[in-house]
Amino acid sequence: MQKYFDVSYLWGTIPQLIPFLKVTFMVAGLSVLFGTILGFILALMKLGTSKIAKKTANSYTTIIRCTPSIVLLFLVYYGLPAIVGNFGTDLNTLHTAVFVVITFSLQFGALMSEVMRTAYEAIDRGQFEAAVSVGLSPAQAFRRIVLPQAFVVALPNFGNSFLELMKEGSLAYTIGLVDIMGKASLIISNNYNSHSLEIYLGLSLIYWILSILIEQFFSRLEKIFSKGKQVIKTT
Amino acid sequence: MLEIKNIHKSFGKNEILKGVDLKIEKGDVVVILGPSGSGKTTLLRCINFLERADEGQAIFGNMDVNLKSASRKQIHQIRQKTAFVFQNYNLFNNKTALENVTEGLIIGRKVPKAEANKIGKLALEKVGLSDKINSYPSQLSGGQQQRVGIARAIALNPDIILFDEPTSALDPELVGEVLTVMKSIAKEGTTMLVVTHEMSFAKDVANKVIFMDGGVIVEEDAPEEIFSRPKEERTQQFLKRVIPEDYIYNI
Amino acid sequence: MSVGLDYQFLVKTFFIALSGVPTALIITIVSLLIALPLGFLLALSRINQIPVISQLARVYVSFVRGTPVIVQIFIIFTSVPLLLKPVFEEYHVQTNIYDINPIWYAFIVFSLNTTAILIEVFRSAISTVSKGQLEAAYSVGLNNVQAFRRIIIPQTLVVALPNICTATVNLIKATSLGYALSLREITLRAQVAANVGYNYIEAYIDIFIVYLLLCSLVEYLFKLYEKRLRKYKAVGA
Repeated sequence: MQKYFDVSYLWGTIPQLIPFLKVTFMVAGLSVLFGTILGFILALMKLGTSKIAKKTANSYTTIIRCTPSIVLLFLVYYGLPAIVGNFGTDLNTLHTAVFVVITFSLQFGALMSEVMRTAYEAIDRGQFEAAVSVGLSPAQAFRRIVLPQAFVVALPNFGNSFLELMKEGSLAYTIGLVDIMGKASLIISNNYNSHSLEIYLGLSLIYWILSILIEQFFSRLEKIFSKGKQVIKTT
Repeated sequence: MLEIKNIHKSFGKNEILKGVDLKIEKGDVVVILGPSGSGKTTLLRCINFLERADEGQAIFGNMDVNLKSASRKQIHQIRQKTAFVFQNYNLFNNKTALENVTEGLIIGRKVPKAEANKIGKLALEKVGLSDKINSYPSQLSGGQQQRVGIARAIALNPDIILFDEPTSALDPELVGEVLTVMKSIAKEGTTMLVVTHEMSFAKDVANKVIFMDGGVIVEEDAPEEIFSRPKEERTQQFLKRVIPEDYIYNI
Repeated sequence: MSVGLDYQFLVKTFFIALSGVPTALIITIVSLLIALPLGFLLALSRINQIPVISQLARVYVSFVRGTPVIVQIFIIFTSVPLLLKPVFEEYHVQTNIYDINPIWYAFIVFSLNTTAILIEVFRSAISTVSKGQLEAAYSVGLNNVQAFRRIIIPQTLVVALPNICTATVNLIKATSLGYALSLREITLRAQVAANVGYNYIEAYIDIFIVYLLLCSLVEYLFKLYEKRLRKYKAVGA
């Protein structure tokens, strides 16, 4: 090995990795979709009147939040086929991505339930009371007055959670998913583990730029939806 | 027009309303006075079901409703006849002043948008805010926000408007503009039930003053009688403590 | 493979997994010890906009928060030997680069990572403590150190505590990635045990339970501490 560190490797691998962003995005997008639906249901359970539902939703959230992503991945990847196998179905032919999406949907759902719950609780009850006082039904009051305001409160947290999802999603390579992380691992093992530093740096560059773009996007969204509110500057 | 019979309400172990009877005729301007904790606000909130009374009856025109077991439909019907002005205004933060005023009309009463806007603009003109129809609550002062709150109530053309300490959250300089609006709509014959500490309003505009203490009505009479010849000991004590304040706020 | 669980293995591996807890805890504690003061100081530099340092801190935080932890681990794991090799040769150090205990890499990665996260946590917590507090402290004669220690830091801590708890829990979870460093913590130990008889599911269930217990304990402890701190906060806020 002549050079220990060869910058050209860095620039060389980036074009090889970019096509696999598709997989990263697709998996993230589906996880967000299912996770948000799950999170919504869990939030309803947490805010509702049924004690059992509340306890169940809170337990679920705590358990998921205390579980490292790779552990969850492995549990789903090995555990789900085993459980379902007892009923006769063979899940071993399913594409890895399915297990990845299931895992991160479960995780994102837990995150989202907290985001939605705190956003809802942040809206003053007086808004709802005023709405029903002018003759709106509770459902209308919620939909037209409380929800839009809760949405704005939830937006920054949603953005953060989305960013977290993208980063945790990188662990999917451990069960064989070929997204940008997976491809990077393949490249490295193909090169007999030489020049792995450059490749990892290239990978980190892609993630970094991606995260900055996502942050900007959500900042922009917040500005658009906050019309009519005074925003407190913290920077 | 509105008669409340034997209303009781407890919060946990605290009984706040211990059996209150009330009768309001059309065009009455009734002011409820009393120390904090006497149940004045709770009474108001029970009338339009923001709180659920434990016991009691409300006779509203031709409707007779049990306050404890009223159905959703009945509650909705009663809310169509009343309007509420809140202590902290509770304007819809995500809507402009005009939208705040027309929301109840368009969605609650299914009035077509063009007509609702006309009514809304008129109401805002009445409270002196024609130039702020497109402003958001965060862009308005406290007094302006409360006036929008009153416009929101007027626009619904209710049988009675309930005021819950409408000026208590305002800076002293802004109290006057809200009281002026309230006086003008009282003169037009609006039926009003007002919980307030503003004695000037009670003296000048009300035709009936009720003094509440400890969850019951202690005394009720015309304002001249209550202020100059209070019959009950508790009323006398309350007025003695409160009247000096009057000289500070009276313009 | 899926008829039933091997309960004997389940119990045995539980204790194997448990044996990795000290490692996870050491990493967490060392990282926190470094990251808490460092994060606080850098957060201050950001707020006071000290030139150079605050800009560097900003870039640093952006990078650490924008890249996955596993990638950071790999970067440190592959770059530190490269950087140290010339240094070792210069000073004729006997140790072989590749024999360094992976735990040192873990210390480096997780300290750097947690510092970046705490910078953001402290930045928002400090901004909620009003400037007047510092001014009042000066005016009664406290110097800088006293003002911070007795007035500012306690108030910042109360606000920041929930987020510090979250960061700690995330840190503990992140130690599970230590396997990439061949670090013998919870996950790796149990995995190795599982390799023998292919009892992966039992192993991961044990790993899962250990993390659950650990994180719940940490959250509980933080809640207790928060309750104690809150006694001094305004009543009826």
